[in-house]
Amino acid sequence: MTKRALYISSPIGLGHAQRDVAIARELRELVPGLEIDWLAQDPVTRVLEGEGERVHPASRHLANESRHIESESAEHDLHCFQAWRRMDEILLANFMVFHDVVSEQRYDLWIGDEAWELDYYLHENPGEKRAAYAWLTDFVGWLPMADGGPHEAYLTADYNAEMVEHIATHPEVRDRALFVGDPEDIVPDRLGPELPAIREWTERNFDFTGYVSGFDPAQFADRERLRAELGYRSDERVCIVTVGGSGIGEHLLRKVIAAFPEAKERVPELRMIVVAGPRIDPATLPRADGLEVRRYVHNLYRHLAACDLAVVQGGLTTAMELTANGRPFLYFPLKHHFEQTLHVRHRLERYGAGRRMDFDESQPDDIAAAIGDVIGREVDYVDVDSGGARRAAARLAEMLA
Amino acid sequence: MRAREPDETGIVRGVYWERFGDGEPTVLFVPPWAIVHSRVWKMQVPYFARHFRVVVFDPRGNGRSERCTDPRAYAETEYARDLLAVMDASETERAVLVSLSLGAQRALLAADAEPERVLGLAFVAPAVPLAPGIAERTVFAERFEEELGTDRGWAKFNAHYWRREYRAFLEFFFGRAFTEPHSTKQLEDTVDWGLESDAETLIATACAEGLDEDAIRAICDRLDCPVLVIHGEDDAIRPVAAGRELASAAGGDFLGLEGAGHCPQARKPVAVNLALRSFIERVARPPPVLATAETRKEEPAWLRLNLP
Repeated sequence: MTKRALYISSPIGLGHAQRDVAIARELRELVPGLEIDWLAQDPVTRVLEGEGERVHPASRHLANESRHIESESAEHDLHCFQAWRRMDEILLANFMVFHDVVSEQRYDLWIGDEAWELDYYLHENPGEKRAAYAWLTDFVGWLPMADGGPHEAYLTADYNAEMVEHIATHPEVRDRALFVGDPEDIVPDRLGPELPAIREWTERNFDFTGYVSGFDPAQFADRERLRAELGYRSDERVCIVTVGGSGIGEHLLRKVIAAFPEAKERVPELRMIVVAGPRIDPATLPRADGLEVRRYVHNLYRHLAACDLAVVQGGLTTAMELTANGRPFLYFPLKHHFEQTLHVRHRLERYGAGRRMDFDESQPDDIAAAIGDVIGREVDYVDVDSGGARRAAARLAEMLA
Repeated sequence: MRAREPDETGIVRGVYWERFGDGEPTVLFVPPWAIVHSRVWKMQVPYFARHFRVVVFDPRGNGRSERCTDPRAYAETEYARDLLAVMDASETERAVLVSLSLGAQRALLAADAEPERVLGLAFVAPAVPLAPGIAERTVFAERFEEELGTDRGWAKFNAHYWRREYRAFLEFFFGRAFTEPHSTKQLEDTVDWGLESDAETLIATACAEGLDEDAIRAICDRLDCPVLVIHGEDDAIRPVAAGRELASAAGGDFLGLEGAGHCPQARKPVAVNLALRSFIERVARPPPVLATAETRKEEPAWLRLNLP
């Protein structure tokens, strides 16, 4: 009988979609004839459609998580733990959509990449599990922000404690738990005052795939050819400014656009391309002579591989793509975003990658100076292993044998 | 953000209601005590609106419904009138009534008054006096308006305490409602909803007339629609024995939820949703061909008296 998998990819940012497409591609090679349906929403569906993947029609019933996250954000500020907590009714509504789908159709494997609703409610209702199930994530542990005080520390520890209890009480729910990264990527914190160290607990409960990239950096070894293909001349200094798939990055785009004239003075051969992304209308952004603004760039990773500098937020995927390709970059973690501020930062520091910038403290002239300082510079990052997608797919394929 | 916005809203008798979806049948989610409002159903509305037609309303005394400080306005019979008025205003001929806690009493009254409009009754954690209450609570129940000289435990269920420490009362009450560990979000939600009302309004609701055991048993004897009772085995607000007794008195099914407290629709939403969906699909049959006018019972006096 044809094997069937249902893939649920977190819609918060575009990064999950890219790595999940790479994993799906590898998985199909390992399991010939495998059919994969995606339960996904905007902006993930844009990536999937671009890749010719099959989006399950019930996806239209999903309540939109990106809009919720955007509604919770302020100027380059997203308290992502609280925003996620306040998304509880959306997560439950989406779990019920999932439940309807799997009640009506047989799947042999459910794959959830940071599909929080799926993982949480399966542990709460283990009797509802009716297929093999794999959980993927690139971070473990809700962490409090310093200005959240003792109450936020209590809340994050309470959520972590529930997760620890879930895994201990129902080890049968996750057939595979895959950490997208290596043990060294894990922050040195504890899950809470009375709880295990995150690294120790994760090493006990997860397999490590290494980083999963949507591409093999070897294909970009000939950077001059790639630049020529993308229309970048060898005598221009290309700076790509991108804030990923959500609509939260507009303030950063505006600040970098304001830095453009001075940056151009410092680096006369500068060619700056601002990518608004699928959820920001480029027409609403300020214009500047010589500045290019684009709505959405398919296979943005190829442009990032070709650039002389990138200016980004602190999201994991984009930063790691730049790291894998050895590109210099400036990154601005969103304020109060524990994942960007703590987990991703820790990982980038391990790779020695990127220059971290503070949004509030960086005025346009600071950004222009940093651009002038870093653009085109040779970097010395730790190599990013490119076999993650294959390793993740191999662990998933075991369940379809 | 809400997971789903209403397709239609309205106000009738000062009561704010919302409609979602347009499937069949209509599921009317009946609000409980006005310490909260219709958002207490937020884990149900998006799911049921995809399959059926959903109507919710805020109880008078909270949310976007009117409030006053006259206990007579909060009698269960008034809430039952609100319920039927919301059905009329939302053009709901028949519905499955799903109630939470004290909503059980108004749902029973409405089903008794207009049985032909009620396809089935599902009760979640029903607040019905069919079994002994929580002992520490009943000690203070009769002394609600007395100065107690203590505010330990259920002594907080007291008008004077509410005037002094309204928020602390809400935190105490919902702390007892959510006996499940890791309920921080549900606690925050319910306390916030409680703060949308105020001490004087809530005191008036607490002094209002409800149904006693005899009245409830008499209604149960007359009921002829399918009944489901869902009750948390660890309910520390309304004992599970009362839910079992209601199911038995009404000839209905009983589902006990292990480890669940007083608000399983919020804390165990998957189990509650699946049980409700299967109940609704079972009771939702096409309307009978014969008119029911001949078999319709006489309207009860409370309904006839002063409907607007």
